[in-house]
Amino acid sequence: MAAPLQSSDKGVPQPVNLNPLPNPTAAPPRWYWSLPYAAVTLFIATMAALLWLTHRQDAEEQRATLINDVLWMEQNLSFQFERNDAQLTQLGPNLLTGNDVHSPNEGTIQARLKRALDPESGLIRILWLDAGGKVKGAEPPYTESHLVGETTDVFPSSAAYRLSRTLGRPVYSDAYAVIDNQTHFEVHVPIFEGGRYIGSVVGVYSVNGMLARQVPWWFSERYRVSITNNLGTEIAARSKVSPVSTLAYEIPFEPPGHGLNLVITAYKSEVRWISLLLMSSLGVLAAAIVWSLWQLRRHMQRRQAAEQALGSEHAFRKAMEDSLNTGMRARDMQGRITYVNPAFCRMVGWSAEELVGLMPPMPYWAPEALDRTYEVHSMILGGNAPSQGVEIRLMRRDGERFDALLIEAPLIDANGRQIGWMGSMVDVSDQKRTQELARQQQERLQATARLVTMGEMASTLAHELNQPLAAISSYNTGCLNMIEHGDLSQTELTGVLHKIGKQAQRAGQIIRRVHGFVRRSEPKFETVDLDATIRESVGLVEPDADRRGVAIDLDLAEALPPILADPVMIEQVAVNLIRNGMDAMSSTPRSERRLQLTTREHEGMLIVTVADRGQGIPPEVAEKLFAPFFTTKEEGMGMGLNICRSIAELHRGRLTFEARPGGGTIFNFSLPVTQS
Amino acid sequence: MNPPLATPFAHIVDDDEAVRDALSWLFRTRKVESRAWPSAEDFLAAWRPDWRGCIVLDIRMREMSGLECFDALLERGNTLPVIFLTGHGDVPMAVGALKKGAFDFLEKPFDDNALVDVVIRALESNARRQANQETQANVAGLLAQLTPREQEVMQLVLVGKFNKVIADELSISMRTVEVHRSRVFEKMGVRSAVELAQLLAPGRD
Repeated sequence: MAAPLQSSDKGVPQPVNLNPLPNPTAAPPRWYWSLPYAAVTLFIATMAALLWLTHRQDAEEQRATLINDVLWMEQNLSFQFERNDAQLTQLGPNLLTGNDVHSPNEGTIQARLKRALDPESGLIRILWLDAGGKVKGAEPPYTESHLVGETTDVFPSSAAYRLSRTLGRPVYSDAYAVIDNQTHFEVHVPIFEGGRYIGSVVGVYSVNGMLARQVPWWFSERYRVSITNNLGTEIAARSKVSPVSTLAYEIPFEPPGHGLNLVITAYKSEVRWISLLLMSSLGVLAAAIVWSLWQLRRHMQRRQAAEQALGSEHAFRKAMEDSLNTGMRARDMQGRITYVNPAFCRMVGWSAEELVGLMPPMPYWAPEALDRTYEVHSMILGGNAPSQGVEIRLMRRDGERFDALLIEAPLIDANGRQIGWMGSMVDVSDQKRTQELARQQQERLQATARLVTMGEMASTLAHELNQPLAAISSYNTGCLNMIEHGDLSQTELTGVLHKIGKQAQRAGQIIRRVHGFVRRSEPKFETVDLDATIRESVGLVEPDADRRGVAIDLDLAEALPPILADPVMIEQVAVNLIRNGMDAMSSTPRSERRLQLTTREHEGMLIVTVADRGQGIPPEVAEKLFAPFFTTKEEGMGMGLNICRSIAELHRGRLTFEARPGGGTIFNFSLPVTQS
Repeated sequence: MNPPLATPFAHIVDDDEAVRDALSWLFRTRKVESRAWPSAEDFLAAWRPDWRGCIVLDIRMREMSGLECFDALLERGNTLPVIFLTGHGDVPMAVGALKKGAFDFLEKPFDDNALVDVVIRALESNARRQANQETQANVAGLLAQLTPREQEVMQLVLVGKFNKVIADELSISMRTVEVHRSRVFEKMGVRSAVELAQLLAPGRD
């Protein structure tokens, strides 16, 4: 048993020992399948043998009965012949010595003849012959149909006659055909009186008649009795119906003998319906068993193949699932955890056994983000989870927080019914941290780059301006030197003063060039929908706001009239003000970090208000707030608000601020409505 | 010894024509002869080792910068004092140059007469150096007149040894030493060993 099992085990991939699928049973060995076949074959063979034996026994029994019957029949006939012989011997002297049998005093003889000719005896006629062989009389009286005397020579009767006289005992003649399709034979009984032969009594038997009389009804019902001559020709039969069965028995017909045979044929062997039924039902049953067995085997094979395929598929999925770095967790419709993969367990630090079956709040939900987590949770269960996933702050077992990107998809069972939610979770804290670092780095870099660029520009400008100024200064000093020494040459002085003037002009040109350079970034005015611009600005800073935990409340007035403005500049101002607002709230408790953004129309102006909940602006800062290069921020350039105000003024608007009741600052940015 | 070349000049190297012209004018009003060069390349092409005077070098120029020019001059063994003119923010560079042997630097905008003062000092320094070099050339000429034996004697005299010791070391008679000694004094134009030592002492200011 062990060896085949082992060999078949090799082919079966062993699935990882986790979760639902049971170990597929090893394929049974091949010989396993021959067992039922062998059993069925053996069973059929046994049944067939049993039936055959029964059948044979039946046939034997039938044959025995037949033989018995035949023997009985033969004996019956022999007995009859003997009795007739005796009667004829008794009648003989009376018939041969009596003068006239027809005389009235011969009544007793008549009666005895009559008795002898009883149909039961089988005799149809009695003749008596004298010692010379001449017919002395006959009963029934002799007719043309029967020839005695001369004719005895012709017939086999003469031979019988002579033989009986010689032997002195009854002798049966050969059978001979007579008209009317009859066959007759005779028995010659020699009669002696006082040792002297006085004649013979001849009894004529009709074979046909004898068959008719001597065979009892029950016998003829069961068998066909016929007599055949030595050539095998049937000369008489009890029934004309030819038998079907081959079961027959033939014995010599003695005493007449002389080649006659008594043939007894059973009409028809009894049909054994029960055994036949049994046999056929057995056959059908066996066939059904074999068929069903074969079907079962095919089914089993298919099932096994399917199981194997399922097993390997399961193993494949399992391996895939386990190798994932993405945490997977399934929940039912109530939010109960029904499954977690190893990556998920690694991420949160709880084992699958601990997690499965838990209902919210989960142990890995960060307490400080509980409200939001619940919100996300109910959003998912409500089927409103965004397809790009939700970012959520979770907690490992050791209390470490991490940011996870959660993507949920409905879990559909085989019937197409939703049974829960499957979520994949990716730890994005590292990614976020890296992004954050990169962003800060980038910002710092940009700030530095701006500073460097500005420094470069300032430096170039300084050098360029320095040149004419230095020249002027040198000319000037030279002139002074000349005056001091008193050797003043007027022409020389005039030339130098001209040169000084030229250099002064040159310096002016440089300054004009710088001015022109600055003016190159002039605003491009177009019709602007203020609300749309504000929304766009909010869109730009939203990721930053999310990161800082600042909520932006938008309260935009509807159907504002259009303004003529440079949308990029307006956006720049809005972004700047929002950023400032968020910066101001960096030390405000998270729950209060709300930035309110409103737009409204007031006396021909559109006013954008940005209100924060920061520390407010101390008076000494307020004074210098719009001054260039003034900043309260470590990385600031001190240009933001300055530029904002320049932009506001460029649009013939204003930028003002005021303290917000309840803490914080409100910045108002107003722009005139287009007059057209 | 070409007289015009030997005349000390303040060489002004600046790519700005107005500055060159203004400085030339300024120097002239203080009786300083100057020559102006529009670029470092032009100046280097004309430079000759026997020039006297000083160099006023603008650090920031379009092509070759003042510092590169200074390095090139150092390689060529230039002895002219170099005064750098620096713009705003070039001070660290100028300090580096000072360490390499530049004479001075002035940050623009500078007091023009202060610049002229520095230039005059540089010119004087150069002149002194030139004179030194000439003296040394004279001494070398005097030394060349001495015979090998006289030179041996002179070395020992300079070390401060007595005639008797010199005679022992050179295995000659004291009388011969005295003869050599008087010849050396005569040829070198000195009257005592102290004067001889002063004449030969190197790096005198």
